[in-house]
Amino acid sequence: MTTGVLLYCFDTPEVNYHRLAERCVAQIRKYLKLEITIVTNLETYKKLKPMGMINYKMVEAKTTNTRPYRGKSVAWYNKERALAYEHSPYDTTILMDCDYFVFSDNLLELSKTEFDMMLHDRVHDLTGKDMILGKDESTLPLVWATVTLFKKTANSDAIFSMIRHVQEYYPHYRNLYRIRYPNYRNDYAFAIALHQLNLGNSIPTPMTMLADSVDVIDSDGDGIVFKHGDNVMFTSGQDVHVMDKEWCNG
Amino acid sequence: MDIGNIKKHADLNFEVAQAKKNALEKLRSRQLMAYNERLFTADADTMNLVSTLKQNNKDFYMLDVNENPCHIKDPDDFLNKLIERNQETLNSYQQLHQDLAKKRK
Repeated sequence: MTTGVLLYCFDTPEVNYHRLAERCVAQIRKYLKLEITIVTNLETYKKLKPMGMINYKMVEAKTTNTRPYRGKSVAWYNKERALAYEHSPYDTTILMDCDYFVFSDNLLELSKTEFDMMLHDRVHDLTGKDMILGKDESTLPLVWATVTLFKKTANSDAIFSMIRHVQEYYPHYRNLYRIRYPNYRNDYAFAIALHQLNLGNSIPTPMTMLADSVDVIDSDGDGIVFKHGDNVMFTSGQDVHVMDKEWCNG
Repeated sequence: MDIGNIKKHADLNFEVAQAKKNALEKLRSRQLMAYNERLFTADADTMNLVSTLKQNNKDFYMLDVNENPCHIKDPDDFLNKLIERNQETLNSYQQLHQDLAKKRK
């Protein structure tokens, strides 16, 4: 039985995702010590620094989606994730955004248990200002696709097939679940698929996050220092989803 | 105390309270523990239940965090692992708690 990490990384005109992926890989190597596969395109691949043994899969990303980021609309190449079941060479896969940084081996513990798919259904805002979740965003029990553990089972296959179907007919499902957010978002596609199929387990603890208005001002292999308004705080030994996309640019 | 100092005091208290909340989230994440392909929390409830059940049975069933049954064939081994993980997380939390107490003084 093989276990590995699957990352999707496509640079956009506004964001150097390859820089985030390089940092993400370093953290995975330090704490999870698992094999890594990166799904990317040729343009991004050329910018990635040599990182030793990594499996690369080259695809052409769909470039039709956008998202709001710090008051601007920016490109968002997020649709390939629906193919993770096919892209993953592992029996147990930890599918992770490249802006999720591990500072512990907690995900290894989760990967050793029995499940089809497991993801977070709650978040913890490290600043204490509850900036992540809006109110009445949909009628759907929301999940976060940032970190998704799945096994190669018939149920997982069905979930990913449903995600691809939801992606294809997203305006219909968006209307059905009264989703306010106008653009395609994997969190909703995954949540809809799990809701329709009545499958999936939630990770019992919330995902630790920093909103995009929070600046990461320093970091080392054990943790990060972040600033919001006048407050400077730090976290160490705690996995964290960082929405500031510029902190790895140096 | 003037209003400027009261504001500083309030900011410090906010930071300390938030650092404590963050540390408790870290503790709870770290207390998640795989055993026989099931997921348990190495907290007081789980340790107490295992300790109680093992007084009467050599093996028994328990529900994990996802309410799936798990056959506990070696309760001593399981309890030792729970205690080890529980104390690891509490030691780490205790260190941070001390640092925060110093900050408040």
